[in-house]
Amino acid sequence: MGNNHEPIADASIQVKRSNTGAFTNMAGEFTINALATDTLLISAVGFEMKEVAINGRSEINETLNVTNKQLNEVVVVGYGTQKKVNLTGAVSVVDAKTFESRPVQNAAQMLQGVAPGLNITQTAGSLEDRPSINIRGVGTIGQGSSGSPLVLIDGAEGDINTINPQDIESISVLKDAASSSIYGTRAPFGVILVTTKRGSKGRSQINYNNNLRNSSPVLLPKMMNALDFATYFNEASTNGGGGLVFAPERIERIKDYMAGTLKESVIIDPNNTDRWHEGYYGGNDNVDWYKALFRDNVFSHEHNISVSGGNNSVQYYVSGQYLKQDGLMQFNQDIFKRYTVTGRITGKINEWATIGYNARFAREDYSRPSKLTNTLFTDLARQGWPTLPLYDPNGYLFSSPSPALGLAEGGQDIRQNDWMYQQVHLTLEPIKNWKIHAMVNYRVRNNFRHWDALATYNHDVNGNPVIYDRESHVHEDAWRENYNNNSFYTEYARSFAAVHNVKFTGGMQTEYNRYRDLGVSRNGIILPGQPVIDLTTGTTSNGQPATPSVNGKYQEWTNLGYFGRINYDYDGRYLLELNLRRDAASRFREDKRWFWSPSVSAGWNIASEKFWNRYSDVVNIFKLRGSYGKLGNQNTTDLYPTYVVMPVGTSNGGWLVGGVRPNTANAPGLVSTLLTWESVRTWNVGVDLAFLSGRITTSFDYFTRYTDNMVGPAPELPVILGTAVPRTNNTFLKTYGFEWELGWNGKLKNGMALDARLVLSDAVSEVTDFPQNFTGSIDQYRKGQKLGEIWGYETIGIAKTQKEMDDHLATLPNGGQVALGPGAPGAGDIMYRDLNGDGKIDAGARTVANSGDLKIIGNNTPRYLIGFTLNANWKGFDFRAFFQGVLKRDVFMDSYYFWGASRSGLWWSAGLEEHKDYFRADENHTLGQNLDSYYPRPLFGSFADKNQQYQTRYLLDASYVRLKNLQLGYTLPARITNKVSVSKMRVYIAGENLVTFTNMTKLFDPETIVGGWGGNVYPLMKVMSAGVSVNF
Amino acid sequence: MNKLKYYLLPIAVLAFFGSCKKEFLDKEPISTITPESYLRDESHLAAYAIAQYGVFPTHGQWDYGTFALDANTDNLAAFGYHSQYVPGELRTGQAGGAWDFSTIFKCNYFLNTVLPRWQNNEITGNATNINHYIGEMYFIRAYEYFSKVRDLGDFPIIKTILPDEINALTEASKRMPHAEVVRFIITDLDSAITLLQETAPDGKRNRIGKAAAQLFKSRVALYEATWLKYFKGTAFVPNGPDWPGAQKEYNKNYQFQAGSIDDEVNWLLDQAMDAAAAVADRIPLVENTGTLPQTASDPLNPYLVMFGDVDMSAYPEILLWRSYNRSLGISNNVPVAAAYSNDGNGLTRGYVESFVMANGLPIYAAGSGYAGDDYISDVRENRDGRLWLFLKEPGQVNLLFNTSQGTHKTPIEPTPNITATAATSKYRTGYAVRKGINYDGQQYDNGQSSTGCIVFRAVEAYLNYMEANYERHGALDGKAQQYWKAIRTRAKVDPDYAKTIAATDMNQEAENDWGAYSAGQLVDATLYNIRRERRCELLNEALRDLDLRRWRAKDQLMNTPYHIEGFKLWGPMKDWYSDLNYGTANGNVSDPARSEYLRPYEITGKETVYNGYSWAMAHYWQPIALQHFQITAQNGDLNTSPIYQNPGWPLGANLGALY
Repeated sequence: MGNNHEPIADASIQVKRSNTGAFTNMAGEFTINALATDTLLISAVGFEMKEVAINGRSEINETLNVTNKQLNEVVVVGYGTQKKVNLTGAVSVVDAKTFESRPVQNAAQMLQGVAPGLNITQTAGSLEDRPSINIRGVGTIGQGSSGSPLVLIDGAEGDINTINPQDIESISVLKDAASSSIYGTRAPFGVILVTTKRGSKGRSQINYNNNLRNSSPVLLPKMMNALDFATYFNEASTNGGGGLVFAPERIERIKDYMAGTLKESVIIDPNNTDRWHEGYYGGNDNVDWYKALFRDNVFSHEHNISVSGGNNSVQYYVSGQYLKQDGLMQFNQDIFKRYTVTGRITGKINEWATIGYNARFAREDYSRPSKLTNTLFTDLARQGWPTLPLYDPNGYLFSSPSPALGLAEGGQDIRQNDWMYQQVHLTLEPIKNWKIHAMVNYRVRNNFRHWDALATYNHDVNGNPVIYDRESHVHEDAWRENYNNNSFYTEYARSFAAVHNVKFTGGMQTEYNRYRDLGVSRNGIILPGQPVIDLTTGTTSNGQPATPSVNGKYQEWTNLGYFGRINYDYDGRYLLELNLRRDAASRFREDKRWFWSPSVSAGWNIASEKFWNRYSDVVNIFKLRGSYGKLGNQNTTDLYPTYVVMPVGTSNGGWLVGGVRPNTANAPGLVSTLLTWESVRTWNVGVDLAFLSGRITTSFDYFTRYTDNMVGPAPELPVILGTAVPRTNNTFLKTYGFEWELGWNGKLKNGMALDARLVLSDAVSEVTDFPQNFTGSIDQYRKGQKLGEIWGYETIGIAKTQKEMDDHLATLPNGGQVALGPGAPGAGDIMYRDLNGDGKIDAGARTVANSGDLKIIGNNTPRYLIGFTLNANWKGFDFRAFFQGVLKRDVFMDSYYFWGASRSGLWWSAGLEEHKDYFRADENHTLGQNLDSYYPRPLFGSFADKNQQYQTRYLLDASYVRLKNLQLGYTLPARITNKVSVSKMRVYIAGENLVTFTNMTKLFDPETIVGGWGGNVYPLMKVMSAGVSVNF
Repeated sequence: MNKLKYYLLPIAVLAFFGSCKKEFLDKEPISTITPESYLRDESHLAAYAIAQYGVFPTHGQWDYGTFALDANTDNLAAFGYHSQYVPGELRTGQAGGAWDFSTIFKCNYFLNTVLPRWQNNEITGNATNINHYIGEMYFIRAYEYFSKVRDLGDFPIIKTILPDEINALTEASKRMPHAEVVRFIITDLDSAITLLQETAPDGKRNRIGKAAAQLFKSRVALYEATWLKYFKGTAFVPNGPDWPGAQKEYNKNYQFQAGSIDDEVNWLLDQAMDAAAAVADRIPLVENTGTLPQTASDPLNPYLVMFGDVDMSAYPEILLWRSYNRSLGISNNVPVAAAYSNDGNGLTRGYVESFVMANGLPIYAAGSGYAGDDYISDVRENRDGRLWLFLKEPGQVNLLFNTSQGTHKTPIEPTPNITATAATSKYRTGYAVRKGINYDGQQYDNGQSSTGCIVFRAVEAYLNYMEANYERHGALDGKAQQYWKAIRTRAKVDPDYAKTIAATDMNQEAENDWGAYSAGQLVDATLYNIRRERRCELLNEALRDLDLRRWRAKDQLMNTPYHIEGFKLWGPMKDWYSDLNYGTANGNVSDPARSEYLRPYEITGKETVYNGYSWAMAHYWQPIALQHFQITAQNGDLNTSPIYQNPGWPLGANLGALY
């Protein structure tokens, strides 16, 4: 029973001497056969384990204490572990439960929204897309340096996307400088420490689990039907003084085709009567290209197996995973597969020496149509007119161009990426509490990629093939990385006078990373079914020799670091930690190579003070923390940033000489001689609290991070320089925000166990100085600017009549809205507010001093990132709901996907269902009058400038909350499963991305709005899945 | 003792890294070339120079290529009209624009790096070829500078690599008077002419040769001479009234190098004549057989097919051309556009009517034999051999070989599709040309043609000489007469140009040809006929707008808007069509009440040029974008910038011309 005398069901009772065991029933009762001298081990989830000697009793009543997680929890930190209660830095921990039964592709996706301050953004759903990760918002603005966190898997840098999520034991997120400064210049923007599972002493455990999924797109935009589309485009063209896009004769055909009285999707070319007419001018089909190109639902499955166990001297853990995910492409479906194998063995050499060996292999296979590139998303709606034939009247795919033919028959892009991680870890403990570690990590990564471009064929009126895309070629490339990381460190812990606890850690680390690649393309595939380099002719379709394109290079970088740490605490009450690291990076020249990274942090466990005793029933933990540290950033995107490179090209010239592409060379860019380290300083204060025996826990951190001497945007200099201005360390950035975590767990009277966890974080970045914005331009960084600001006009509204517009323009006597674009404004055009009262609407000089009628109308930084998890367990049933969201974000989508008929002209416009809500004054309009429209009257080209300015009316609210994961599981009672030697069996159903709460237009998914092209992306997937997990 | 070896391991490692730290950390790029080691061999110079050939306008992949660059003049109507003819609609920019120095930087980097090494004999390779490639870079710098003078007039002269430092860059931004820039261009061209070989190392004239440089020199000199002459007394010449350069201390006391503006004009005209004669005296014109092939067995006419041939090295008149090869991903769509609709570009009535009759008489002259323009076939009858050859007539053959190939071929010229809705099928004016055609079906896959593109053609030198000679001396010398006759003989027009001059009525010509004017005044008949020859010979060859600007031949539009017209739709040719619709916002042709000729930009009434093309003086040059003043100004006062705005343009963004 528990502390409150409630019975505990399904508690495990085991005889210590043998394997005999039993479980309690609903009333908490059990029977077991044991000797009177035996000792019983009693354990249950959520309670501390207890050893009970029978001492001859025949009836045993025992009370179990609720585990006091808060006090004993150990957290993995840099080069060691630390009791959570003694932590002084800002560290969040994610446990293995997060990675259970999530029907997603990789571990990073599972981390989204679970740790405050760890921001995971997935901006596209294509199978190879990797979420981007940052800790505490924008660290550096990505001009020549990276602000990604350092990811360490069991102490070695690794790719979090390749790890089998089921192998993860826990993840620590080191957020402030004090926690990460022991990694120095490799970790200026935080660290993600992944600890994988290992075997433990005792009976062997075998687990198998699987997951079968049905996925469908979360959001596919919908296209207008052909007739509405033709009406819309005609109106957009004639509104601007242009001619009809669809002649009346063609409108009739479109109507007939939609009515079913016309069967042919395209007419015959009158000038060339054995061919179909070019689709854009002769087509009358009615196609929604999103529906045509993407599948409604696809199947995927995942299988995991692991075996672990060991005895006192050797422990092992072996696991394997297979994942196959089908993509959404209708033609030439994309497929992703992942295989991982992990093995870990730890053995005692003798009393004071332990050796561990750990190997992980991961393979990803990905194939897709060669034409599934970013271009598809750039062109999908602008080229995919609904009137464009998908199939010609004979039933062949038809391209003029359209996306389908190339996707279906244009070739395959196949990638295979392998990672092999190996780790040897020797631990010596010659004297109690003095440990010496030697760790060697070696990672080999091999990426192979193949793509082929095949000749494609349209068909003529008689069904004979007509070559469309003529040239075929095969491309092969390989990329290899050899990464070696050696660490040697030692730790020594000692207590003095029972109250002074000191721990010293010190060591060094080397990293050596080498890359090489090799690639070749050759023209002329002999047999389309065998796209192999050996089977290419090396000639073009007209038989001329074509120089194969080849490439290959070597690159490398090294890093050397020495580090040390001192932890001191006085009786667990006053905590202090000092870190120091000195790094040298090969990326900088000798005189600027070394960098010091110091940090200090301190904490006060108030709840451990004597004076707190009287409150400790209510408040068990009350700790204040503070830290400060400084780190350098060596993660420049260029491995040789201080060297000038001569841009030379081989056989790539566009001006043919002697019938071949010549070699080319160009002027080298300028490299600033002043380029040096970015340094990152972080202040952090935090408080941790636990109430009511840990039933409620909360912690709060507030941080300010200064990125000094950031490699910023190049200063704006007179263009007479003639080349790109070199980047220098010229920007000063401040990022500040908070992280809040609130947990609650409890049990209802009926025995239902509940726990809930809320995480909330926010980060804002501000430019504190950018001395080189000489003009005060609003298009450049400038002092005091918050990153993500959107400048725009204030919209009054759409003029419903010419008179309304004229009345508005009468209030603007000094130039009206002329500066916004050509063509006289009228009914259906936007009226803007004259904010500076100068009698005209314009952008002034686009400087802070003179920004005309522009103002800051919003900010596209995602604010208030929220994650909420609710777990419930009752009588073997478990339920989990996980919400993730962004509570505040503005975006301005200035792409044709948003505008429909756009100012980039006819060929950069689209007609989607949402665009139908445009201004129509005509009462007899075939689409109906629409005076209260969302969009202004449609216009093509520069005439649309006056309406398509950045402005308040079309600022979109990209905040959302999404039900990311919903699970319902049932664990069969142990007493049933035990009969078939199964210790635990759980069946579950789970869903992913099920519901979204948002104000966003149906054109875009708020989560992927910055991805793809202009917000048009390979959609995220909504998943329904089922699976089983069995422990033997 | 046993334990000791474990302690030794980390100590040994520490010692190891302590000792070879520097070696471990010194990583130099092994896969890139540093500037110090490059531009030291003939092949490096060749690679660098050819990478800069993008400065030349050539065919792109999807249109009518350079043959459409005369659009938006009185010669050619594009699918859409241009805002330059709507004062107020052409605007100043916020950033960017022609005030750009990227190509100049590349040239200066090359010359600054290579010249010292060249003088010290540090460059390996064939000395003649090294000279040639250096000559190419001088040429390219000159070419780029000329485009700046054309677009902006006064421009800074930069010969070195500038430091990335704002004060030095601001100081360097001083605009030099365009006459001075032209002097600099001519110096560079003289260097190029000295260094370039007669035949470039490629042997096919895909690279610049000496004759191309001489031709270009004559173009530049003639441009500046005529500009100074016709804009004299305006703000558009140095020291002219209200010349904005005079506001700046550094330009206040400008002196023409020849002493005065008139002497400068004369010097330039002499330069133009010398350079032009050097070309015209040694490069003959390609033969015109006077035939238009209609069957595969008909002989091809070199003067027709050279504009669309795949290998243009066979035609000595072509001094520089770009080669295309679809298999290498370098292709164009010119034959497709030449065979059908000219990609929405149509010849204007004004242009077609400027061509004289084969007998040399203007069409309006008594006894000219002009058959009228009720049908396109009438228009061609007995006309200047060039119009007869290049103007397409329904029913003519466009394809002779490999007729089964090509996805976008037009084997037989159809009646012009004037009501089509897209540029790729619309006959804008009803008049279309076949310049750039190729009779081989292999060239008719969409965007996949491998026909070449002409950059310089020697006949321009003949024309430059004639004009410079007449502008210089008011009469034509023997050479000029010889050249003119050569051109007219080749054109299948009576070579007796005096007969044409005698029959020319300037008031008649003024109706059709902007080139009849300079500064709003009609020019004399001889000069006009020299200009007419140029207009008719260089059909769709991208020089029309340049000529109109240097002749100052758009002023008259400010008082009398010009209506762009096409063929005579509302004559008998209207019976070719069944779907004509006019007088409404959804119309597809112009109202016969406006004109019996098709007016392509006067159909719906919403066109901003519905009442004709107009003009503003400022439009002769482009404005300089606001950003460039801001960045070079002190304390936000734009007048402190060393840069000054062009005449007629305000200092601000998104503003129309002042006059």
